[in-house]
Amino acid sequence: MTTATLEKAAAADAPRKQKVILAEGNEAAALGVALARPDMVSVYPITPQSSLVEHLAKLIADGRMDADIVDAEGEHSVLSVLQGGALAGARTYTATCGPGLAFMFEPYFRTPGMRLPIVLTIVTRDGITPQSVWGGHQDAMTVREAGWIQVYCENVQEVLDTTVMAFKIAEHHDVMLPVNVCLDGNYLSYGASRVELPDQADVDEFMGEKDVNWHVALDPLRPMAVDPLTGGTTGKGPQTFVRYRKGQCRGMQNALAVIEEVHADWAKRIGRSFAPLVEEYRLEDAEFAIMTLGSMTGAAKDAIDEARDAGKKVGLIKIKTFSPFPVDALMKALAKVRALGVIDRSVGFRWNCGPMYQETLGVLYRLGRHIPSMSFIGGLAGADITIPHVHRVIADTEALLNGATAPTEPVWLNEKD
Amino acid sequence: MGRAYSTIAFDPAKCDGCGDCMKACAQAKTGTDDVARSRIQIYGRGDATEKDFELALCRQCADPKCVTVCPAGALNKDGTTGVIGWDASKCVDCLLCTVGCAYAGIALDETAGHVSKCDTCDGNPACVPACPHGALKYITTANIYNEVGDWEDLFAPGLAGCQGCNTELLMRHTLRRVGPDTVLATPPGCVPGMGSVGFNGTTGTKIPVFHPLLTNTAAMLAGIKRQYKRVGREVQALAIAGDGGASDVGFQSLSGAAERGEQMLFMVVDNEGYMNTGMQRSSCTPYGAWTSTTPVGETSRGKTQDAKNLPLIMVNHRCAYVATASTAYMEDLYEKLDKAIAASKTGFAYLHVYSPCTTGWRFPSNLNMEVARKAVETNFVMLWEYTPQEGLHFTKSVDNPLPVTDYLKAMGRFRHLEPEQVEHIQKKVVENQKFVERMTEHAHVG
Repeated sequence: MTTATLEKAAAADAPRKQKVILAEGNEAAALGVALARPDMVSVYPITPQSSLVEHLAKLIADGRMDADIVDAEGEHSVLSVLQGGALAGARTYTATCGPGLAFMFEPYFRTPGMRLPIVLTIVTRDGITPQSVWGGHQDAMTVREAGWIQVYCENVQEVLDTTVMAFKIAEHHDVMLPVNVCLDGNYLSYGASRVELPDQADVDEFMGEKDVNWHVALDPLRPMAVDPLTGGTTGKGPQTFVRYRKGQCRGMQNALAVIEEVHADWAKRIGRSFAPLVEEYRLEDAEFAIMTLGSMTGAAKDAIDEARDAGKKVGLIKIKTFSPFPVDALMKALAKVRALGVIDRSVGFRWNCGPMYQETLGVLYRLGRHIPSMSFIGGLAGADITIPHVHRVIADTEALLNGATAPTEPVWLNEKD
Repeated sequence: MGRAYSTIAFDPAKCDGCGDCMKACAQAKTGTDDVARSRIQIYGRGDATEKDFELALCRQCADPKCVTVCPAGALNKDGTTGVIGWDASKCVDCLLCTVGCAYAGIALDETAGHVSKCDTCDGNPACVPACPHGALKYITTANIYNEVGDWEDLFAPGLAGCQGCNTELLMRHTLRRVGPDTVLATPPGCVPGMGSVGFNGTTGTKIPVFHPLLTNTAAMLAGIKRQYKRVGREVQALAIAGDGGASDVGFQSLSGAAERGEQMLFMVVDNEGYMNTGMQRSSCTPYGAWTSTTPVGETSRGKTQDAKNLPLIMVNHRCAYVATASTAYMEDLYEKLDKAIAASKTGFAYLHVYSPCTTGWRFPSNLNMEVARKAVETNFVMLWEYTPQEGLHFTKSVDNPLPVTDYLKAMGRFRHLEPEQVEHIQKKVVENQKFVERMTEHAHVG
């Protein structure tokens, strides 16, 4: 399990008592949002996100959350409203997925450029077409190059905890970037499990003072022109544009350390720790590894346990932080193994492999040592990635270890399901 | 800043020399029908054709020669009204003033035995309403200048608008009126194109200003306004957007914000196309107009569809306030601006300002006001306002509109029109007028 209660050095630092509830991922996300006390949430329903925004609306209607809720007429406006709110100093939140995220893309791409620390949950859904309303990572993967921080959750508790942490990461002065908390549509959105609800006072202490528009504001008390035209070839155009873009890239890189710090702080104050960037599972003495993302990790860990019981020296590498890509942490993990199988829940059309696999190839190159590897694609449009599917991945990767030639095409795990 | 004064203006194109103005003046000032004693005189020019008349009338000059030449101090300009007054008790009947005036604005009244001149009937000139053709107007927009002239112009001088740009004028007036406690959204188009948000670190605006996307102006402003409301701060949310961003790609965001009653003033500067990007067609472009995407060629004679009537669509959102306006009718515009600002404190206010584009519509840059005025005088553009409480009513009704050709011929974008196209436009003008009239009859209270 990713949840581990830390030893508490001093009783005074111990987290206050946490209420145990049963919650679906969407409800857990909404509860996490409420704990972070945003000023403004803007919503538009879409499957499988809808129950998340319904929970938010209910929390506000019941007086359990003090936020302005804007029922906008579409995702494009949802994010635009929040941009305005953030520029006026609001802590802001929304959630969407799939076609909604696609419709939102214009303001979506702009948000990190304006360095607005908006938190947006992607209740991940596969891309259309073929028409589908089911889970998959294609939506989040398609926008991975838009400059948002993207973290993927494994289970419902991690959804709740990460949602709160996302605000802290986004608003860190060294970062000032928006964050996507990705939770798997269907599996986590509707999957109910036991959740511990942190005490509000503990979260308030964790969050500290809100300060979201110190760097850019639309405020008559601090008049400034926001986002004037830059670039081109005249005057200071080229260097101005580069300064902004380079700053954005620096913010992304700074986020790697900040994500680790925030997770450590959360563990200290709330008593639960999660691997912030890359989780290594039974990797210490492994000869080969499989790589996972999101909720599939649960089944994959079970399969690893069974394979270990059968004497196979296999471990697991879970990516939590996908953007910025945790190159150093992943290199450290990959250095321990001699063959790798990567499971994606989405497709990289250009390289004919999974997108996470493609990203990993760059890290393997940097490692400077050849590790045979292959790409597996499963769980598209709500399909299951079961323990037997993962055993297939383990077997194929083990074959690589034993000298088999890596296929040039991905293995489609649900091809015959 | 100096003071401006109201004045009587004369449009020779509308004068047929009927002399009704002179009769009214003679009645008002002498109690007779003796037009020779009228202080306004209309003269035919030399071998005058039927419509070629000149005005002899006191211009109430800022630097009056009559006053300078008077040896007796009988003529004086009133600092408050601007009217040049004549004092009979001081006049020595030397008539030097009649020689000094270049406009024949002061002349000998032979019956009375001394000079006489226009005193604007104390600001209510009898000649103006007497004119059956609208050739005389009493222009009172000086009041606006006197009121707001000293207020800070919140746009920087020297913005990069085209020469004679109507929108720049509108921006300067609007920002003077809303004042500094404002956040201004200027979506891509002419307004940021002339430097309102700025380039590479400079800005053209002295208040908080930003580029929204072309598509999300109303939504972004809504977010800003809501947050200030949440923290209890009074901040005016203002958009100055082009017709393209409002009626086409930004329409969803506009409609959504209006439906939710977001508290803002959304001003559309309608120059009937994407003028900043090179004069492409928008859904507000009128039928027949040349644009760079509805060009005139062998098989094409301009836009083939009628314009979308965006302000009427906004009425159907039951906004707190909706109005159309024109910079050629500044007092009307200012009244609407005031009402729109007030309405935006509690709901969505929408102001649609017709803004002739000298570059894109192809007319000389000194004719902007003339083109804007002709649009209203032909009913091509109608000025009205709407509130949910009082429904829709005209603020400037044109009962005897000029033929639409008077408007169309003023600019190059309609130069190619075939007679049947002109006929179509004239028919649509009448239809549109009837359509809006029906809405006024039903009061459209919602």
